[in-house]
Amino acid sequence: MIEPGSPSATAPLLRVEGVRKRFGGVIALRGVNLSVLPGEVHALLGENGAGKSTLIKILSGVQGHDGGLIEIDGRPASFSSPAQSRQAGVAVVYQDLSLVESLSVADNLLLGREPRNRFGFLRKRQLLAEAQAFLSAQNIALDPRAMVGSLPFAYRQMTEICKALMGDVRLLILDEPTSALTDDEERILFDAIRKAAARGVGVIYVTHRLNEVFRISNRVTVFRDGQNAGTFVTADTNMRQLVGAIVGPDHAVLKTAVAEAGDAASSSAPFQSVLRLRGVSNDRLDRVDLELRAGEIHGLAGLIGSGRTEILQTIFGLRPVAAGEASLDAKSLKGVDPAAAIARGIALVPEDRQVQGLVLEHSIERNLTLPRLPDFSRMGWLERRSAAEQADSAMQRLRVRAPNAATAVKNLSGGNQQKVVFGKWNQPVPRVLLLDEPTVGVDVGAREEIYGVIRNAAAAGSGVLMVSSDLPELVQLCDRVSIVVDGRIVKTIARAELGSAEDLHHMIQLSQPSEEHAA
Amino acid sequence: MSDTQTAAQPAPAGQGAKRSLLQHLIKGERPYMLYVAFVVMLVVFSLASPWFLSIDNFLNIGRQTALVSIIAVGMTFVIIARQIDLSVASTLALSGMAASLAMSLVFNNWAFGALAGLATGALIGLINGLLTTRLEIPSFLVTLGSLSAARGLALMVTNTKPVIITNEYYFKIFGEGSVLGVPAPILWTLAVTVAGILLLHYSVYGRRIYAAGGNPTAARYSGVHIKQVTTLAFVITGTLAGLASLILSARSHAARPDVVQGMELDVIASVILGGCSLFGGRGFVLGTLLGSLIIGTLNNGLVLLGVSSSLQLVIKGAIIVAAVAFTRR
Repeated sequence: MIEPGSPSATAPLLRVEGVRKRFGGVIALRGVNLSVLPGEVHALLGENGAGKSTLIKILSGVQGHDGGLIEIDGRPASFSSPAQSRQAGVAVVYQDLSLVESLSVADNLLLGREPRNRFGFLRKRQLLAEAQAFLSAQNIALDPRAMVGSLPFAYRQMTEICKALMGDVRLLILDEPTSALTDDEERILFDAIRKAAARGVGVIYVTHRLNEVFRISNRVTVFRDGQNAGTFVTADTNMRQLVGAIVGPDHAVLKTAVAEAGDAASSSAPFQSVLRLRGVSNDRLDRVDLELRAGEIHGLAGLIGSGRTEILQTIFGLRPVAAGEASLDAKSLKGVDPAAAIARGIALVPEDRQVQGLVLEHSIERNLTLPRLPDFSRMGWLERRSAAEQADSAMQRLRVRAPNAATAVKNLSGGNQQKVVFGKWNQPVPRVLLLDEPTVGVDVGAREEIYGVIRNAAAAGSGVLMVSSDLPELVQLCDRVSIVVDGRIVKTIARAELGSAEDLHHMIQLSQPSEEHAA
Repeated sequence: MSDTQTAAQPAPAGQGAKRSLLQHLIKGERPYMLYVAFVVMLVVFSLASPWFLSIDNFLNIGRQTALVSIIAVGMTFVIIARQIDLSVASTLALSGMAASLAMSLVFNNWAFGALAGLATGALIGLINGLLTTRLEIPSFLVTLGSLSAARGLALMVTNTKPVIITNEYYFKIFGEGSVLGVPAPILWTLAVTVAGILLLHYSVYGRRIYAAGGNPTAARYSGVHIKQVTTLAFVITGTLAGLASLILSARSHAARPDVVQGMELDVIASVILGGCSLFGGRGFVLGTLLGSLIIGTLNNGLVLLGVSSSLQLVIKGAIIVAAVAFTRR
């Protein structure tokens, strides 16, 4: 096991002080600090949009920073390219691996640096020997001859980490490395990380899973809204303190918001169910039961990959209903594709607005009218005036800030882009409004406006089913919240029992199958 | 599209307004530089050759480019949908054989022959579209295959011999007739262009094909049936290749199985020159027509200037690459 010296005794390997970064009108980092010691595993936590990824991109040379200080081994560092960052000893392992699957482990480890003879031909034996030597020096059980494509995911990730560690690496950055791993694979990965740290490498470990923090890290730093929300020695902190740092302490604000939404909900007519799922199963879902009421905002909470998105996709006809029964207004949704779902009044605001929600190159008007083109046409011919009028009125209703409806969507800010995605479904009011992470990458002002749009839709009688990883958001908006684990809804909580975002977080953590046996 | 800019909001200096006029000309939604380049070329050739600037010569250019222009309108749909069709020249050859054989062997009626030619083109387009969308084979490979197969079939049906056409109405309607002095091939080009503009810019289908090519995932999430929309683009292109075959065979009074080899390159060059993005989602029919006319005029002008045919090829290639480099975003 590793025991880094007491923080005061060792000079930090990496020192980040007051680093700022702004993207157009959005401030991503408002001056963050972080120090990593040699041999330390330092966890970095925060909600989506808290600034973790931005800092990593700056450290890896993908992006520059606007101000502040970065030091490596006491020397100021500023990287204008990934190559420079790599030169300074910084290695990053991203979620999506960068290996060549059709080559062996050894080929991948030495990719681009293969030993050659004087005619430029590959010296295969030496290549294999070098890879083998490195792996045994690291004490890592990987066969250098194995084809990467045939390896289980954890071993691929280990290859990736070994590749990152080859050469003179001082700082290793891991970006959510466990999101696709089983418990056993996770243990293998943790071993590899510990071995690297034992050699004096500093490790930054980015994750959303709090219990991992306690198993692997020495210290924890939390970012919130582009600022530091605290740095803790792992042994001296607890789950509650970390969750508090992540979501923020503004209890009072949360409570009042809940009360407001509660009044709105209680005034609407109770219990007219629009959408009903009974034991719905497919490759990703396992007997999902759900009842969505008209005028209700129903949250789906759970970890990333738990099947929340897939529930929405199945309702929208992007995934088949293999077993069970899904019905809208008591009529079956079997065999429905997105076009038919839209015709029946189902709307989806997808998770990734740039990939799934918008045609970025096209104008606001084209995007707004795309799902409802038949409404703006006669015999297949477009009525351009009525489409344009619809687009203008949707832009005004949703307060989309843009010169006019002919503006290309790619020129809008994240918040305004998201308003356009909402605008696609704004008129007529959908029966069921499916929302997948509706405010990711949206700045605070636009976020409040989007909340207004969601509440208005519910007030107009839509059943709203909303996936969000932003727990304060769920607590603030939802009448009920269901917790999804491994493709099942394990629990549905009414507002009265919902409590605070922290309570919801605990409920989600407690609903997970036990992971402790791995430790 | 200026009619979409109603007085909903005063337009502040947004992203669009910041661009300089020059940038607008070169890289705007529609590359207006193309129009400028066309005019410059007309002026240069007019000054350099006394024969260039005459109505007869322009009608000549129109007749020569008709085949490419007509097929390129269809290719505009295919390329906007993020696909490619390499088979158009072979489709033309096979359709021409079908039309002439239908008239010489079955029923010597111009409409029957035309129907046979158009249907053959449409069928090849349908096969291209279905293989591309249902089996999810890249259209580059599918149409590379049909390029070869359709040409082979065209050569097989008569054992490489041409088929003579004797129907006078057929000659008139597709090749030799004229209205107010405008020859039939040019009239057909105009008709196809107008139909293409209506379909691409004024119909629901047009909007859907832009979305399908611009971002297939987002289009699917918005309820667009990508496979149907894409398949139809191939059918349109195949049918227009069929129409082109009628024009060609009517002008030469015969259908030959070995005609227009390599013409797909001129068609694709016209579409790209006309401002279509090879990455889909962007392009317009009038630009395509202009692209085809530019290539046609270039051919014509260089011949009149007495440039050797080998050098013509080199100049044409260089100008196409340069133009695309300028207009590309």
